[in-house]
Formats: sequence, structure tokens, C-alpha cells
Amino acid sequence: MARSTLRFFLICVILSAGCSQEEPAYKVDLSKRETVTIRAEANIITYAYLPQYSHKVSYQRHHLLIEYLRQETGLNIKQIFPDTFDKHMKMVGQGKIDISYSNPFIYVKLAHRYGARAFARIIEADGTTNFRGQIICRADNRQIKGLTDCRGKRWIAVDPSSAGGYLYPLGYFIAHGIKKDDFQEIDFAPGPGGKQEKVVLAVYAGKYDVGSIREGTLNVLADRIDVNEIRVIADTPCPGWVYAARSGLEPETVAKIKQALLKLDYKLSDHQQILDAANITGIITSEDNDFDSVKELAAQIGMRLEE
Amino acid sequence: MKFGFRSKIYIGMLSLLLLLGIVIIFAVSRILTHALLEENSNRGISIGTTLAARVAEPILAMDFLRMKNLVDETVRLSDDIYYTFVLGAEGEALVHTFKGGFPVDLKTVNTVADRQQYSSRLLDTGNELVYDYAVPVMIGGDRFGTVHLGLLRIRVQKAINHLILSTILLTGFVILIAGFLGTAFASQVIRRIKILNKSAEEALRGNLDVRTAPLLKKNCWEIMNCDNPECPAFGNTQHRCWYMAGTLCPTCVEGEYAKKIESCVNCSVYRKCSGDEIQGLAESFDFMTLSLKTHIADLKDAEETLKGQRQLLKTVLDATPDFVSLQDRRFVYQAVNKAFCKITRKREQDIIGKIDADLFPRQQVEIYRQEDRRILKTGEPLIKESRITGTYGVHWLHIVKIPVEDSDGRIVGLLCSGRDITELKRIQKQLNQAQKMESVGQLTAGIAHEINTPLGIILGYTQLLMEDAESGSQAGEDLRTIEKQTKICRKIVSDLLEFSRDTESIVSPLDLNRSLKNVISVVEHTYKLDRIDIEQKYDFLLPLYDGDKEKFKQVFINLLNNARDAIGTDGTISTTTRFDKVNREIKVYFADTGCGIPDDRIDRIFDPFFSTKSVAEGTGLGLSVSFGIIREHGGRIEAESPPSPALQAKIGAPKQGTVFIITLPIAQPGQAGAKNKINHHKKMNTGS
Repeated sequence: MARSTLRFFLICVILSAGCSQEEPAYKVDLSKRETVTIRAEANIITYAYLPQYSHKVSYQRHHLLIEYLRQETGLNIKQIFPDTFDKHMKMVGQGKIDISYSNPFIYVKLAHRYGARAFARIIEADGTTNFRGQIICRADNRQIKGLTDCRGKRWIAVDPSSAGGYLYPLGYFIAHGIKKDDFQEIDFAPGPGGKQEKVVLAVYAGKYDVGSIREGTLNVLADRIDVNEIRVIADTPCPGWVYAARSGLEPETVAKIKQALLKLDYKLSDHQQILDAANITGIITSEDNDFDSVKELAAQIGMRLEE
Repeated sequence: MKFGFRSKIYIGMLSLLLLLGIVIIFAVSRILTHALLEENSNRGISIGTTLAARVAEPILAMDFLRMKNLVDETVRLSDDIYYTFVLGAEGEALVHTFKGGFPVDLKTVNTVADRQQYSSRLLDTGNELVYDYAVPVMIGGDRFGTVHLGLLRIRVQKAINHLILSTILLTGFVILIAGFLGTAFASQVIRRIKILNKSAEEALRGNLDVRTAPLLKKNCWEIMNCDNPECPAFGNTQHRCWYMAGTLCPTCVEGEYAKKIESCVNCSVYRKCSGDEIQGLAESFDFMTLSLKTHIADLKDAEETLKGQRQLLKTVLDATPDFVSLQDRRFVYQAVNKAFCKITRKREQDIIGKIDADLFPRQQVEIYRQEDRRILKTGEPLIKESRITGTYGVHWLHIVKIPVEDSDGRIVGLLCSGRDITELKRIQKQLNQAQKMESVGQLTAGIAHEINTPLGIILGYTQLLMEDAESGSQAGEDLRTIEKQTKICRKIVSDLLEFSRDTESIVSPLDLNRSLKNVISVVEHTYKLDRIDIEQKYDFLLPLYDGDKEKFKQVFINLLNNARDAIGTDGTISTTTRFDKVNREIKVYFADTGCGIPDDRIDRIFDPFFSTKSVAEGTGLGLSVSFGIIREHGGRIEAESPPSPALQAKIGAPKQGTVFIITLPIAQPGQAGAKNKINHHKKMNTGS
């Protein structure tokens, strides 16, 4: 009996030992080292989307369009991602951004400061050439029932240069007799990127009473928060976004890009996919004087184009 | 080396616990190690995935500072994060946490495909084991780079070691506790088994008054509120009622344990009083010893009875003159009695277990075997008379062999019974002779009667002729010879007529001394002529005897003449009378100093016509007539030749010669006496 017990015991031990979960280790030599060197590519046409959303959203919306432009124009177009509106503007001024896709207010600044020139503008998802800003608050905020109730409240906007996220709502407030000083405080979403979403989240969290965003932002966040908890107080119409070429970019290049952009037809299925991703329905030609109204609004709200 | 039950239990328990402990340690260690490695892997994947998500924006923005900050922050999260680095879409290193350049091997050692969420691999750097987790940086389905995270295995190994140690300690503690509990339990079991064992040993030594089961807290009569002292279970604290037959509860079933236990298990007494298996065993043992004791007492009684009956049977068998033997089917002797031993001249122990071939001559054995086989085959008994010859002489045996059957009617052996009928055979022979002699006697009597008249005529004429014959002439001498021989013939005829005549006895009180004296006085003178003296020794206390006086005189004359004839000349005849008061017998002795009687003839001397003398000297009827007369009187007559030393001492008989002894029993007062014995008795005596 003792011998049988010993055998059983040994079998258990052997089986247990045989069940080791250790995976084989792969030998690596960490002594072979290299220095990290990033080489910049030459002959690149840089394309930047004003960072109103996170870089990922910017990429997801425009990478098909950029791929289309690369194929259509034969140019080495590459999307870059400046972190802030200021950086976007500065990079346009520095020549690091060749093609700028921005809101009208940024454009008028770019045009004013760095001589950028508009050559195309978008047709919004609703088929208009304008887009809208939205003034929002929490759905359960009983103190704010109308626009006038925003007086004395805390306001968070996207960026001082954001058209739909700040400038047009500000103009809308002023038009309704509410000045900047009437608010308890006016803050802007912290950078970099994703500023539109940050405004919604700040209002949703109750940190601010009122927020101003570009229309469509709530749809972007629909899968992350309950957008029914957000109430839209007012919509503020404003001109649509604009494609501008930096000062000094070869006209032929601009022309190729413009031609390609204008060629996009929502009725074509492959173009429709590109346009849907960019949340637009088409692109039309544009010129600088299309944005005179914006310049006027800037003057109205006391915005200096040099700053 | 032999282990006791306690040692076996402890060794078994310890082995089991150790085995269990080892299996638990291995199993738990395996599970925990697996869980820890899984957790470690999940942690690495989680950190890598988080870093990949966080690094997506800086990659798009090519913000190396943010990427560097992110990888540095990640490394600072935990001591076991060995490194992090980000590879670009082309596999080039963008940022990393290594000092002194980026290790080239790490670029390709753990690759991850676009469709994979992550990839892990265990790396051996020579100094450390590192789990490398690679997570792709995907934006909108496009690959922008790869994040790598290196987790040192030493931390998870420490945790595994700690867990294994804890498991071992915990298992050891549990084994210790289990050991203590097991020991306590085992001690309890062993103590009870020891009690059982001790009781069993006591029972083996013969002490059946053992008490193994513990006393109950509450007994059956207390539970059932019973006060019936006639119930065998009432007051019996040692034995349980369900083992006892004849309990008197209304719910009890009659009979022994086997019959009533099915009913008892539903009884409240059983449910309350029955214990575990060991207690049940102890209670069964107690009752078993009680039953055993009772059975042993019964067996002893039965054995005594059997022994007595066996002794009685043996006594009967041994006392019976018939020999008896019992053989089995293989003809092996199973039992014999003394008579059998005597006839075979062997001891009982020398016969039991033997077969005929061991006991008898080959020829007899073959006969016996054929007989025995026939009996076994046919089942029919055998009855026969057998003549056997051996060193002890010739014997006739009357043998009966019968088959012995068992309860099923099968023949299982042979019973042989027999007796020695040698004496019977001899008597049968004598009877045949007597019958023959009777016939001869009757024939002779008839012949004698017929020739008596011619003999008388011959004698008469012979005497007439003698008167005419001259004295001294030849004719005269011849006539005297004729006369003499004719007288002899007439004497023979007269004796024959006397022997065969049916006479009436005249019984009267008789003084045998006087009768004997009268007879002797008549013949004494004649005997002296042949120089034969007669010594007379009388017992004067001899009582009177009821008998026929003349017939006794004839007996005495016959015996005296027989003695004279045996002596011839020059001898002594001693007559002695004695009264045996003890046996109340009168004895008359006639001793002579004659030639005696040969051994082979002494048995025939009382036969009619048996004589050692010539025809001219005697008819051979004297002793037969005497025998018949004495027997007619209820007595007996015997002869010893030569006289035994005891007889010589008793009556002073001579060392040689013959002594005839007449024994006459005296009737007790009030008894009918000899008259009853003497009826009309035919004179013809057939001998003994």
C-alpha cells in the first residue's frame, strides 16, 4: 500500500511540475543601440484642419479627402495637426501650413495677418453654405429659460478665435443686449485639441452654466454622454468654413487643389464617402470678399484681427 | 515491521493530508501563478493600450515632447515597468525611455499586426526577464505606430513566490489543524476498537461475560414508560432490546434479531439508543457473546447427553456377545465393539480406519469384498453362516450385513453384526445325534421286546439240556457258555427295556446318606474281591431330599459300577456328600482312581450306548440312565477327569481318575420342590 501511495504521490508531483505555464523567453541584446532621428520629408504640401476637434476627429474627417487630393493632384499632400488655433495661424504665417481649413474668423485673421487667400468654401451637411453656432446649457438648469437669463452666468466658449464656438455666439449675445461684462465669467476650453467636446463636457459637468459650440458637436459626443441632458438655448448662423492658401504658395498648386476640391460631387458614391467623412456635402469656390460680413462682426464685437 | 491500527490510521491520515496539501499547493500555485501572470499581462496590455490611445494625438501632431512625456510618465507609474517606447508607422523609433540610445533589437522582437489588439512576448535581456507588450496605435483604421511596454517579471515572480509561500504556510496550518482533529477522532475510534479487541480476546479466553457497549443515558423501559418486569429487556442495561427475542412492547415483532430488526428500526427506542457503526458493533458483540454463552451451555448439556448416550450405546454394544462393526462406503472400519475386537484378536484402535485387507486373510477378504459390493449395489442385506479357521481353532459365525442409509436414503456404509454359534452348532450336532439315538432307542426297545421271548426260550432249553449233559463234558461246557451269553443278552435286553420304559416316580423325603450307605453295603463285599476299597465321607447335616429312593439307588449303583469298571482291580472309590448352605445344594461326589476319560470323550460319556467297555462288559446305558434320573429330579451331573486341584483340595480326590459330581438343589421353604420337576417323564434321556 505504501508503495502505491508513493507512486501516486510522485505522479502528482510530476504532473504538477509538467503543467508549468512558463513560456520560453526570447533573448534580446539591449546593448545594440541607435539614436532616434526623424527626417523631415521634402516637397510636402501641408494641410491643416483648424483644431476645433481632437486630432483623431480631424484625421478621421479629412484623411480620405487628403488621400483624394493626393491622387487627384499628384501632390504630396500631408495632414498636420497643430494643437491650437494660434499655433494653426502661426504655422500658416510661418509657411508650415500650406492649405488651411478654418472657420471664417480665423480666415479673416490669417488673411489680415499673413496674407492668406481663400479659394474655396464648404457646403454644410444641411446643404447651406453657412454653419451654426449653438448656445447650450444643462437641460435641468431652471435658472436659464431664455437668452436673457444668461446674464450673470458663467460662460465657456471654444476658443477666442472660434467662429461658431465663440465669436458668432458673442455677436448674438451683443445683438440681444448682453455684453461680455454681463457674464460672471467667460472661459475658453483648455488645449490642445478637442475644444468643442470640452465645452460640452464642462457644461454637462455643471462647471459652467452656458456654453457655446459649433453645431454638430453634440452628435460627435452622442455615444459618450446623454445629449438629452444638454439644452440648446439659441442657434447662431455664421458663414461656412473656408479653404485658404498661405501666402506664397504657387498658384498652380492652389489651382490644382482648388480644382480637385471643386470636383467633388456628392452624387458620386466615392466622393460621397469622402464628403460624409468630412461632414460636408460639397465644396464651392470662394474669394476673400465672401467674408466681409465676418470682418464686420469682428469689428462689432471688438475683436482685433492683429491679435 | 508491523504497524498497529493507530499507527496505520496516523500514517494514512498524514499521508493523505500531505498528499492533499501537496496537490493543493501545486493546484493553488498553478492557479495563482496563472492568475498573476494573467493579471500582469492584463496590466501590461491595459497600460500599453492606454498609452497607445494617449499617444495617438501626439503622433498625429508629431508632438515628440508630449510623446516623450507620456512614455516617461508611464515608466514612472511602477517600478516593474522597465521601458516604454513608441515606434512610428514605418517602425522607426519615435520616443523611448532608454538612456544612451534605443536598443535596435526591440524594434522587431515583438511585432503586432494591425488587426491584433496587442502582442506579448517574454524577453530575456541576460539580466532580466521582461514581458514586452506591443499595442498598435490605430486612428480611423490606419496604423500610425506601435507602443511597446516592458514589464519586469521579477515583480510578478515575487508575488508568485509570496503566494506560494503563503499557500504552503496556510496548507501546513490546515494540515496541522486537520491532523489535530483527525488525531482526536482517531483516538476516539481506536479507544472503542481497543475495547472491542479486549472483549474479543476475553471471549477467546473463554470469558463470555464481557461488556463492550457503553451504558445508555436512557434505557428502553424509561423511553417507553414500561414497568413490565417480565420483559427480557426490562432492567437489562447491557444489551439492547432489538437484539432480544421475546420483548413485550406492543410494537415488537416476535422472533430473533433477524426477524424483528426491520420493525425495530422504526421504533423510537432504536432511533434514540442506536449509535454509530462501532457502537452497533459493540452492541452486536455483547449480544453475540451472550448468545454464544447460551449456545455453549446448551451444547455442553447436549454433549453430556450425547456422551452418556454414546457411553450407554458403547456399553450395550460392548456387553452384547454379538460382534458389531460399521464400515463406510470405502469399507473402512468406523466403529467396532469389544466382541469384534475379541474375535479378530485386535485392539479397537488397531481396527478403526483399517479395511478388511488389513485384518483378515486374503481369501476371506476377497469374499467379504464381493459381498460388501453386492450389498452396496443392491441394498439387500446379507445373512449367512460362516466357518472360519484360525490359530484359535474352528469357529462358526452367524453374520448379518445390512446397508446403512442416511436421511436421503443413500447407502453410506455397512453394518455387520454376527455371533459365534460354534456352541450352538455343537449342540445342534448333539441334538441331531440324540434324535438319531432316540430313533435307535425306540427301534432297539421294540427289537428287545421281540427278542426277549426267544431269549427266554433259548435259556430255558439250554438249562434243560444242561440238566441232561454230563458234568465235565464238552457239551456241558458249551451249554454253560450258551447259557452265560444268553443271560448277557437278556441283561442287555432288560437294560434296554428299563431304559425305554416309561415309569412313574415315587417321591418321598429321602436321606441320601442312608441310601448311599445301603447301596455301598450291598456292593462293598463284591468290590473287595477285586481289591477295591470304598471310602465314605458323609455330611451329617445333609438335609432330606425329596426324590425317588429306588431311582437314586440305581444312580448310585450305576456310578459305583462305573468307578469299579474304570479301576478294574486295586483301587479306591471315594464317596462324599456335602451340603452347600450358600447355594442350598446337595452335592454327592464319586471319585475313583481309575484310568480316567480322554478329553475328546468326556463330552459324550452321558450319551446312550456310549461306552469305553466291551459289549460283554456293559450296554453303554448306565450313565445315560443316571443322567436322566438326576435331571428328572432337577439336578445335574458332571464329570471331571482328571480332577481339578480345587476339587482335589475340596474332597480329597485323587490326582488321576474321574470324579462324578451330582448337584441337587434344595427347594426354598414354601416352594414346590422336586415334585414339580418330576412328572411323567420319559425314561429315555437325550443327554445334555
